[in-house]
Amino acid sequence: MAAGGAGGKTYSFKVVLLGEGCVGKTSMVLRYCENKFNDKHITTLQASFLTKKLNITGKRVNLAIWDTAGQERFHALGPIYYRDSNGAVLVYDVTDEDSFQKVKNWVKELRKMLGNDICLCIVGNKIDLDKDRHVSVEDAESYAESVGAKHYHTSAKLNKGIEELFLDLCKRMMETAQAEERLKGNGASQSASSRRGVQIVDDEPQATPAGGCCSSG
Amino acid sequence: MSQRTERRGGIHVDQSDLLCKNGCGYYGNAAWQALCSKCWREEYQKVRHKQIQDDWALAAKLQREEEAAYASSHGSQTQPPPQSSNPQPGHASLGPFSKFEEKKTNEKTRKVTTVKKFFSPSSRSAPKKETQEGKTPSPSLSRRASFDTDQVSKDFMDFLKNLQKPGREIHKQCRAFIVTMSSKKVQDLGADELSECVQDFYQNLSDRLLGHFKGSSESVEQVMDQVEKYIMTRLYKSVFCPETSDDEKKDLATQNRIRALHWVNIEMLCLSFDEEIPEVSENVVKAITDVIEMDSKRVPRDKLSCITRCSKHIFSAIRITKKEPASADDFLPALIYIVLKANPPRLQSNIQYITRFCNPSRLMSGEDGYYFTNLCCAAAFIEKLDAQSLNLSPEEFERYMSGQASPRSSDGVWSSAPPPDPINPVLAQLNTNLEALSGLSTRQEALMEAAQSLQAELLSWPQSVQHEVTGIVKKYPLEVPPRQIPAIDNNDDVDNDNLPPPLTPQVFAG
Repeated sequence: MAAGGAGGKTYSFKVVLLGEGCVGKTSMVLRYCENKFNDKHITTLQASFLTKKLNITGKRVNLAIWDTAGQERFHALGPIYYRDSNGAVLVYDVTDEDSFQKVKNWVKELRKMLGNDICLCIVGNKIDLDKDRHVSVEDAESYAESVGAKHYHTSAKLNKGIEELFLDLCKRMMETAQAEERLKGNGASQSASSRRGVQIVDDEPQATPAGGCCSSG
Repeated sequence: MSQRTERRGGIHVDQSDLLCKNGCGYYGNAAWQALCSKCWREEYQKVRHKQIQDDWALAAKLQREEEAAYASSHGSQTQPPPQSSNPQPGHASLGPFSKFEEKKTNEKTRKVTTVKKFFSPSSRSAPKKETQEGKTPSPSLSRRASFDTDQVSKDFMDFLKNLQKPGREIHKQCRAFIVTMSSKKVQDLGADELSECVQDFYQNLSDRLLGHFKGSSESVEQVMDQVEKYIMTRLYKSVFCPETSDDEKKDLATQNRIRALHWVNIEMLCLSFDEEIPEVSENVVKAITDVIEMDSKRVPRDKLSCITRCSKHIFSAIRITKKEPASADDFLPALIYIVLKANPPRLQSNIQYITRFCNPSRLMSGEDGYYFTNLCCAAAFIEKLDAQSLNLSPEEFERYMSGQASPRSSDGVWSSAPPPDPINPVLAQLNTNLEALSGLSTRQEALMEAAQSLQAELLSWPQSVQHEVTGIVKKYPLEVPPRQIPAIDNNDDVDNDNLPPPLTPQVFAG
């Protein structure tokens, strides 16, 4: 659902940040948008909704990053957060096996609800604590591949991999948006794309991928 | 909530549905009864012409009846001829709809109003509407809304004046839309259909504007904000919490639910608020005020900005407590807490209203949208809240819900443990009051003791005085002058001699 203006095309993307509490979602997004980590001088009042303007190969991109409450008790509220989102960043802690299990649950749910329209990124955070690693690189990467997601390793503390992660995600979301536009035909794309609710889509993409990802996950 | 939106996601719109009904090949518009602009104009002119003639005939007839009826009782009140009730052209541009409402309020009786209605401009632009009673919103509602709507239309006109030609076009469109909307029977249309109509209108208008402003989305957004304000102020009464939906029932349910959950406290929600800090509690109060204020706004965007302000206050409170920016992990529980404390009026209706009638671009991705989404989450969470989500045992939860116990009664347990954080300012106040009271009672006891000792002292005082007195009396015995006593005795004797002899008992015969 890229709201594309005419002329100098601007993409607006909504990205949700999912993951258990304490995996470092907030640190990651603060590192990305403010380039600060555990800093007493962080000026922003909040780190739950942040925006970033990017310029990718001459196209302007407005990225809105929606943090979500990671506590288990709020799990059921997920669909309210991630509807209409273009991308999801699923964060786990490489030292915490459980948090990776949570990511798997999220992936299943997202694929079931949003189909293939959403670009998924699975992110193993805290690689600075590699010696305590409990989730193996191979497992994580093969799992990501099996569900059509990209896998990244990051460290908010050392500022590693975060920039790349979001840049990659934006590029993929742009591709998806462009593909969608081509599908709709150039004439109608402009008007229909920014309309909330009425998407001229088929029901198939919602049904088929559900089986595909659940069986592999 | 989520279900509804998912359903929306799958709506099919056939290409043919978008085309003009007349089959001329152009795109139609819901606001023009699915005709294209050209066909609509023709249709509209035709119907309008016919309507005017009908109205004239009917009005003339009614006029005669009215005159006959009122001639006797209201001799002085002469009805102006129908022609003169046509509004001055100058007023027509200033939102004739509101003029029409004003007129209604000025009228003395409903019957007279009907006569005038046929000649008010709104009847001409809505040909099918006025012929039957009961299709318009009830006059009392319009009357109340009249002042606000007048102000909003004035603002809207001022805004559009700057846009010149497109401004006129926008105004025409908006008016036509409002008229079509009010001609539709709200009772017959579901809330979702109403929402569709409004959303389609937004979509059509913003597409046209996008063309006009050559893709400058900022200007389009500006205009759309004004359009939303104008339209929704006018439609508010008829589309907020429509009778066809069960919004009202949900409102009541939510309200009762929140009332039943009055005992939920900061600890249960694992909240990072320290209400000891005055700035924090100040922000909490402000946040509560803002979320309550939401209900008083009419325009979806104004409602949204109330939510945003509320959220900002929450963020400040968290920031002051934790000294770091608030993440969603902190924010959502805090918002839930605020909603529980505030129990905002008509929460569900407001959420539904915003979802249905807000300009979608704002709701989907902007910051306001994020906060609104969180509010939806909070409402959903409160609805489904159970023992587990508060880290309580089911029995405990049951007891609290049924009012058999309250978490505050376990206060005593906590106070023996490390110093408990005061649960809320009220409780803190209560505690200080209790302290003050116990202080008072010790002082009271001291006073009582003092009083008793005073009493004892007072009781012993006469004794001591007597003791002293007798002591003194012993020391200085009273000397009575002996001379005077015989003198008195002599006197007594003299007197006794003069007295008659005392009676002696006599025995009578018998």
